[in-house]
Amino acid sequence: MMPGTTPTLEVRNVTVRHGGVTAVRNASLTAHAGEITALLGVNGAGKTSLLRGIVGLAATDGEIRLDGSKIGALATEDRINAGIAWVPEGRRVFPGLTVAENLEVASQADITSRRERLAGVVALFPQLAGRLGDRAWQLSGGQQQMLAIGRALMARPRVYLLDEPSLGLSPAVAAILAESLRTLTAEGAAVVLAEQNAGFAQLLAGRRCMLRNGEIVED
Amino acid sequence: MIATQLLVNAAALGAAYALVAVGFVLVLNATTAVNFAHGETVVAGGFAAVAMASLLPPDISVPGLILLPGVLAVSALLGLAIGALAYLPIRNQPPVSVFVTTIAVGIIIANGLNAGFGAAPRSAPPLIGTGGFEFLGATISRQSLAIIATAAILIAALAWLLQRTQLGRQFRACAQDPEMARALGIQLTRITLMAFALGTAFAGAAGLLLAHQFFVSASDGGVLILKAYIAVVIGGWGSLRGAAAGALLIAIFEVGIAAIASQPVAEGALYITVLLVLFVRPQGLFGEPQQVRA
Amino acid sequence: MTLRNHIPAAAACSVLIFYATTFASSYDQRLLALSGVYVILVLGYQFIFGHAGALSLAQGSFFGAGAYATGILASRWDLGFLSTLPLSIAIAALLAALVAAPVLRLRTHYFALATLALAQLLLLAAVNWEGLTGGANGLSGVPPVSILGWQAQRGFPLVAVVWAIAGVAMLLARQQMNPARRAAFAIARETPLAAPAFGIDAGLLRFRAFLISAAFGGAAGALFVHTNRVVSPETLGFGVMVTCLTMTVVGGRTRIAGALIGALLLTHMPEWLRGLEAYYLVAMGALLLTMVLFAPDGLAAFLPAPKSQSGPAALPEHAVSATGFAGPPATLDASGLHKAFGGIRALDGLSLTLASGEIVGVIGPNGAGKTTLANALSGIVPPDAGTMHLAGRMISYLAPHDIARAGLTRTFQAPQLPSALEVREIIATARTHAGAQANAPTVEDALAFCGLADMASAPAGTLPHGLRRRVEICRAIVSRPSVLILDEPAAGLTLEEQAEIGTLCRALADAGMAILTIDHNVDFLKPIADRLVCMAEGRILAYGNPDGVLADPAVRAAYFGMDA
Repeated sequence: MMPGTTPTLEVRNVTVRHGGVTAVRNASLTAHAGEITALLGVNGAGKTSLLRGIVGLAATDGEIRLDGSKIGALATEDRINAGIAWVPEGRRVFPGLTVAENLEVASQADITSRRERLAGVVALFPQLAGRLGDRAWQLSGGQQQMLAIGRALMARPRVYLLDEPSLGLSPAVAAILAESLRTLTAEGAAVVLAEQNAGFAQLLAGRRCMLRNGEIVED
Repeated sequence: MIATQLLVNAAALGAAYALVAVGFVLVLNATTAVNFAHGETVVAGGFAAVAMASLLPPDISVPGLILLPGVLAVSALLGLAIGALAYLPIRNQPPVSVFVTTIAVGIIIANGLNAGFGAAPRSAPPLIGTGGFEFLGATISRQSLAIIATAAILIAALAWLLQRTQLGRQFRACAQDPEMARALGIQLTRITLMAFALGTAFAGAAGLLLAHQFFVSASDGGVLILKAYIAVVIGGWGSLRGAAAGALLIAIFEVGIAAIASQPVAEGALYITVLLVLFVRPQGLFGEPQQVRA
Repeated sequence: MTLRNHIPAAAACSVLIFYATTFASSYDQRLLALSGVYVILVLGYQFIFGHAGALSLAQGSFFGAGAYATGILASRWDLGFLSTLPLSIAIAALLAALVAAPVLRLRTHYFALATLALAQLLLLAAVNWEGLTGGANGLSGVPPVSILGWQAQRGFPLVAVVWAIAGVAMLLARQQMNPARRAAFAIARETPLAAPAFGIDAGLLRFRAFLISAAFGGAAGALFVHTNRVVSPETLGFGVMVTCLTMTVVGGRTRIAGALIGALLLTHMPEWLRGLEAYYLVAMGALLLTMVLFAPDGLAAFLPAPKSQSGPAALPEHAVSATGFAGPPATLDASGLHKAFGGIRALDGLSLTLASGEIVGVIGPNGAGKTTLANALSGIVPPDAGTMHLAGRMISYLAPHDIARAGLTRTFQAPQLPSALEVREIIATARTHAGAQANAPTVEDALAFCGLADMASAPAGTLPHGLRRRVEICRAIVSRPSVLILDEPAAGLTLEEQAEIGTLCRALADAGMAILTIDHNVDFLKPIADRLVCMAEGRILAYGNPDGVLADPAVRAAYFGMDA
């Protein structure tokens, strides 16, 4: 990383409140294009709350910048459309929509671009190729995870926020996942990976941030 | 034969009710809110048709069908107003509040129509003309067929929209997981307002369809919302298919029992059946039983 | 209650009486009588709609039932007021009791729909059962209020009778809705998940509210018929329901003053808005909409709040120790618990024993079934199969509020405390409902033990998370339980706060309480737990000494992920 480059995502002194609880206190982190930043910590440490705060689904204080511009005042939809993708814990694919529909609905682009990107996602995750017409609830956990990440890909965001993507995945599938994340960064995106599984993050991450009890303890 | 006659009547009534119920479910899915003014919007659509018809030259008999685009447009605008005034400002309040605001809107519409048009029931022109033809010993009216056809086309168009277009996918996504939909960049507020517009447009269309044969008066709204509610509960809360099926069942029930006994008995039987369904299987015929999440 | 509290009410009464006897014309007096009728109706509605929080659309039906009862009994059978009033009330209440069992089980929109269907049925009966009700035309010539031969004629006598009964109704409402009941209703309404953990039987509360609302409605209907001298299906129509709802929303859903404001205002408004003629009802609808949008608590919210019942905290003279909080030593035995949601097995044949005086920590990855376990043990989500025994007594089929009363209480992942209730009220309610045994510690002792004495009068919503967590634990122990289940007590707490909770738990366990603590935070659990249980996929993966469990490779794999 060259000194002086604007980080793709910059979070400064952010406090996140969730359900009356202060889940994250005064956290800061940066994510750079082409790099994977791991956000580590046990469950309940605040990783999910921090990511939700970045996306605008939880009340936050502090500064959040995307490519240098402040996005803290924007609504969730607008932050997403500005170039962030959020893949929450538990996948949250739309159960009644088919795989193809889940992918298509994730992009705001025109129909040609959508079809193109869909083909790209299928190329990256061949397991989904044969199941495009199946409803998402029928997929296995691993396949749903791939679908959830595929959805994020459809928007061609500049930064990916992934919450425990390796949860519930077999080692083989996790390896495919890791490979796909490397591809993403090679194409210039920034990736923030929240994981309690330090092993998985270790395979990939350049930078590491440790969240403990809502506060960043090492960087 | 009497049975065929009744069946056709029931089918026509059911088709109109289906439009009402489907419109109701559209809003329900987009907002999890019950729009208590939905019945009044049906009546408003009927009166819109009456008003527009009065603008047409009286000596030329114009098919009511040409009023449909106008009715759809006016009703859609009404739906937008309801969504913007009675739902969006209070979407974070408990669901009871939406009941009350939409009841209020219903009062405004019903009494506004009463004050504007008077209390007497009014009629809209028939869709494609009066008269009928003989079939299997029964007289099938053109109006009944027109109602069935119009409703079928509208519902088919909605199904196409929902299943085959990006907008429809967005609708369905918002219904299944609104937060995740937002997190994919879908403009939830816009979709919500569109749901209100579309749902109310359907209600208005039903008003046009019902207004010729059954007349329309400002106080009809209450019974209509009850029937829509019943259709949705029978068919499963949130299921479009179920709502249409429920509406059809209501119509068959109504027409059938009214023919055997009387109108009041039919109405009473309907309410008793609703109570029984609620007590025994509150999730309806198609819906999922509620489970407390771990 | 001091005399000072009554001055505003006395003043208002005097003004009303003065107005009624001097300024008011006979028309004004009629309006005044009508207002009194509606005060009673709205007071009743506040029980089910305001306090229980259920949108009942049947209030108009109870009104109509009372109206018809009085109309029929008075005009057909010449019964006097002293008979017709109680009979009307009884008939309305009976009607409510008949439908209550199935209807009250339903939630929100289902409940509203059921009450609406009932209302329509009654209307249908009134219109069509001509022999009894006079059909669509109703019954006219209903005699005036007749008490032991004296007839209350129109004008001041009638107003006096109506408002005398309204006065009784207000006193009754106040007595029924004393602060303790209000608190219990608030808990059942705003934190329905936690209500059983307080020992509150929400179903019973709702049932009583429904019955009372019907009784008041019947009384209002009875009086209405005497002011109107005619009873017709209109009294059962949706119009009355809408009027009642509007008055309640405009005036205020839970305060007696709100019923007065709503009824008086909206009875007289048609007169003030008479210029609008036909559009007057449109204006009413607009008013209702505006109120919900901008003043959802009604106009009564602008009145000064009633004085808080609790005075300054009285510091206990004696030292408060944990011994007072631990109930009789008891073992919790859970065996073969199964629970499935759809296709997911949240509990898969799980068995667990919790002995008095020990702290058992439960860890496990997300989806392991930990919260389902807590829900099953506390009775909130009964298991599909398996048994649970507390001190040898089977608790498997008990209602959750009965389990709390039997000595098993719990806390929740997010503290379930109604924001407007004071800390003291919350603790007191739990003590009343779950700790009915005489040996339960006093509220003051509980507050002191948990370090909450200084903020006893603070509304729970104003407290920071750490304190709210403490309030919830205080609530759980004030009833002197034998078993305490804590669901993620350390979540969102600073390290100091976590240490405090840990110390508290240790003290309670040493006093004999059995404690089951679910948490992700191993650092929190390790110092205090006697044993650790690791769950995965609804089953127990490992169990025993904390160090041993944490070193177990299966636990490390499931909980910490691939070779951490």
